[in-house]
Amino acid sequence: SMASPPATEEAEGAFTSVPSRRSRRKRRAAAAMETGEPRPGKRPAFPPVAAEALGVGKGELRKVPVPANRYTPLKENWMKIYTPIVEHLQLQIRFNLKTRNVEIKTCQETKDLSALTKAADFVKAFILGFQVEDALALIRLDDLFLESFEVTDVKPLKGDHLSRAIGRIAGKGGKTKFTIENVTRTRIVLADAKIHILGSFQNIKMARTAICNLILGNPPSKVYGNIRAVASRAAERF
Amino acid sequence: SVQDGLAADFRALTKTLYDLNKALGTNIVRGGPLKELVIEDFDEEQIWQQLELQNNAVLDFFKESIARDAEDEDLCLLSDQEEGGSDAETSSDEELEDNIMETETEQKNVSTKDKTKAREKQSKLGESTKQKYSDEDSDIDFDIEALEQQTRTAKETTLKKMGRKSVVDDKFFKLAEMEAFLEHAEKENREEEEEEEDINYFEDIISDDEEEESEEAEVKPIKSSRDLTYKDFFDPVDDDDLVANDVEDDQEEEADSALEEENPESMSEVEDMNEMMMENMRSKEASKKVTFSLPDDSETEDVTDMQLEKGIDPIEIKSSFEKRQEKMSKKIKILEEELLEEKPWQLKGEVSAQKRPENSLLEETVFFDHAVRMAPVITEETTLQLEDIIKQRILDEAWDDVVPKEKPKEEAFEYKKRITLDHEKSKLSLAEIYEQEYMKLHQQKTEEEENPEHKEIQEMMDSLFLKLDALCNFHFTPKPPVPEVKIVSNLPAISMEEVAPVAVSDAALLAPEEIKEKNKAGDIKTDAEKTPTDKKRERRKKKLRKRMKLREKEKRQKLLEKMKPEQGTKLSKKAAAAQLKKLTKEGKASLLKDEGKDKVLKSSQAFFSHLQDQVRMEIKDANKLKKKEKKQKTLSVHKLKL
Repeated sequence: SMASPPATEEAEGAFTSVPSRRSRRKRRAAAAMETGEPRPGKRPAFPPVAAEALGVGKGELRKVPVPANRYTPLKENWMKIYTPIVEHLQLQIRFNLKTRNVEIKTCQETKDLSALTKAADFVKAFILGFQVEDALALIRLDDLFLESFEVTDVKPLKGDHLSRAIGRIAGKGGKTKFTIENVTRTRIVLADAKIHILGSFQNIKMARTAICNLILGNPPSKVYGNIRAVASRAAERF
Repeated sequence: SVQDGLAADFRALTKTLYDLNKALGTNIVRGGPLKELVIEDFDEEQIWQQLELQNNAVLDFFKESIARDAEDEDLCLLSDQEEGGSDAETSSDEELEDNIMETETEQKNVSTKDKTKAREKQSKLGESTKQKYSDEDSDIDFDIEALEQQTRTAKETTLKKMGRKSVVDDKFFKLAEMEAFLEHAEKENREEEEEEEDINYFEDIISDDEEEESEEAEVKPIKSSRDLTYKDFFDPVDDDDLVANDVEDDQEEEADSALEEENPESMSEVEDMNEMMMENMRSKEASKKVTFSLPDDSETEDVTDMQLEKGIDPIEIKSSFEKRQEKMSKKIKILEEELLEEKPWQLKGEVSAQKRPENSLLEETVFFDHAVRMAPVITEETTLQLEDIIKQRILDEAWDDVVPKEKPKEEAFEYKKRITLDHEKSKLSLAEIYEQEYMKLHQQKTEEEENPEHKEIQEMMDSLFLKLDALCNFHFTPKPPVPEVKIVSNLPAISMEEVAPVAVSDAALLAPEEIKEKNKAGDIKTDAEKTPTDKKRERRKKKLRKRMKLREKEKRQKLLEKMKPEQGTKLSKKAAAAQLKKLTKEGKASLLKDEGKDKVLKSSQAFFSHLQDQVRMEIKDANKLKKKEKKQKTLSVHKLKL
């Protein structure tokens, strides 16, 4: 298939410039587009889809379950959760008392597709234990993620060792946890044996490394030194 | 009031007494020059001076006479046995002497000397009085002979008094003598110092007439230099008695001669004194009428000296202009001499310690600039002031506590490490943190630039204030220098410190190990170096490699057979065997049996050698045939003969 076009082109004139392959493909694609025929090429090309075609207006629903211990905090911070979702993201939110779920639904006013996901993530983050203001960052910034893992994933610990590991992560009065949070610009939730980290990808990685080191038994001072070094390097890059 | 009357009476009385004395005056006693005592309009001091004149002259006479009498051996003034009489005499004499002493604190007269010698010779007075007399006439006349005389007498007395002998004594040296001499000398020195500066107002002044008479009276032959003997210069060496006797004998002669020699000098001195006194009186009288701005007293003395030197008649009165001229010329002369002389060390510029006398700098007041503020003088007032200040400070509670100063740590490392660990919960939420970051990133462009003029002004002000602070504050500590911006890049050191340009350097090249992997064992060995273990290892490795290759091949073959049967069977052994069979059956090919006989086919060498042999054989055969044919062709001559 590749051999034929050059032959035809050469037939036209004695001296013709032989174009490169990339440009050939483009021209072919363009030609195909113009003609309207399906291209014989590899990559499919789709025009951007209209919002209506996606079926946003139908009202997609997301449900976030709420455990009992987060019931009261949810009640207290309801307005803070409610306001940004409804006003900024143009979604509909409600708390289903029977199923104990927070339900978020799109409506006709919703403009952004990703709003629903963001809202769901936001609520989920809050339910996991993060502060409303911290979870709000999920809505505002695209590239924030939420990672969860367990202490026993890193190292199989039992009983007292596990407790001690958790204690090491937390530090006295939460000192160590806050230090990691401040240096890596993340938010960490330490729920017994479960750890949730909220932040950008690189920062999550840094924080995760630090926490894993702590679980594995490194003293906090060493961990501080390491994260400080890593953070400074990361900062210098920008 | 009452005193005045009494005083007037006394004065009148003294006048009458004086006049009477003068009137009755004998030829023997020559009193003062004044015929009568003048008291009208004279104050006590002047009257006293007149009296003094008279007294001095009279006293001189008396002293002389006593001296003469004392020499007379018949009369004995003092002796140990006749204590009472002698005492009385001595006491009387002493009184006389004391009186004389009171009137004449410093004597420079010769006659006293005579007297003292006489006294020393005869009497056994206390040392003190003797000493007084011996010391009195020390200054003016520094004749060696006189000194010797003195020393001799001193020695004599010491000999007489302290005839003790010590261990150190010798033919030439006597310890006792030395001690006595030293004491004598010390006393002289003491009295010398007293005598130096002041003019002796109470000195005896012999009038001209008297002096002439004394001269005439005491003319005696002087020893000429030819007649001087050892005795004149040195003490006798032998017994003390001899010495004493000799001394005694000599003394009479010496005394007179010495007196003779010293007289003219003393005369001149006396003349001076006389004139001085006259001049002083006259000048004083003159000064009452006319006051000169120039100080006359010291200069009149100079004048008189100069006159003496020039040999002018000393009594001639000089005009004021002349006097001034003389003073000026004298001054000029002095100054000229000074200039010609060597300068004192003070004016010699840089003077080291060797060039000036020892410890001379201590007596100098030296001026120099002080680099350090002198410590304040503490007086009571200052202490009180200070205490007041302290009290006020305490009330104000304005302690001047020392503020600990920290040295700012400047290191590039520190700049790197600026990420401070905050152990507390972050006050900002995550969203806000990211927001701030975002803003920071995008706000670099919109930094407002300071007015350059403002910057300049600020800098100038800073420098000015810095200088002012340095000047006023004694405990000034300058501000730490503004840290320079140090660009610290986190590149590997090799790239920063690479000397060669990047294009040329081989910093980015691969390391040899990256190109070819190093042998695990380390060194590469030649066959000779290899141990049997190494060789075996290598063989094993080789076999392994081969095994693996073979397996790979078989696998591939199997795969090929599976995927594409035609291609697979091309290269397999089975296929090859089958084909061979086919061919041999058909007769196109024949199998060569390997029988051992046929060595030719075993190796190429064998084959070719065999071939070579064959060819040779053929050639041989060919040659043989040729020869045979030739033989047949050649006919014999005998056969053909007819």
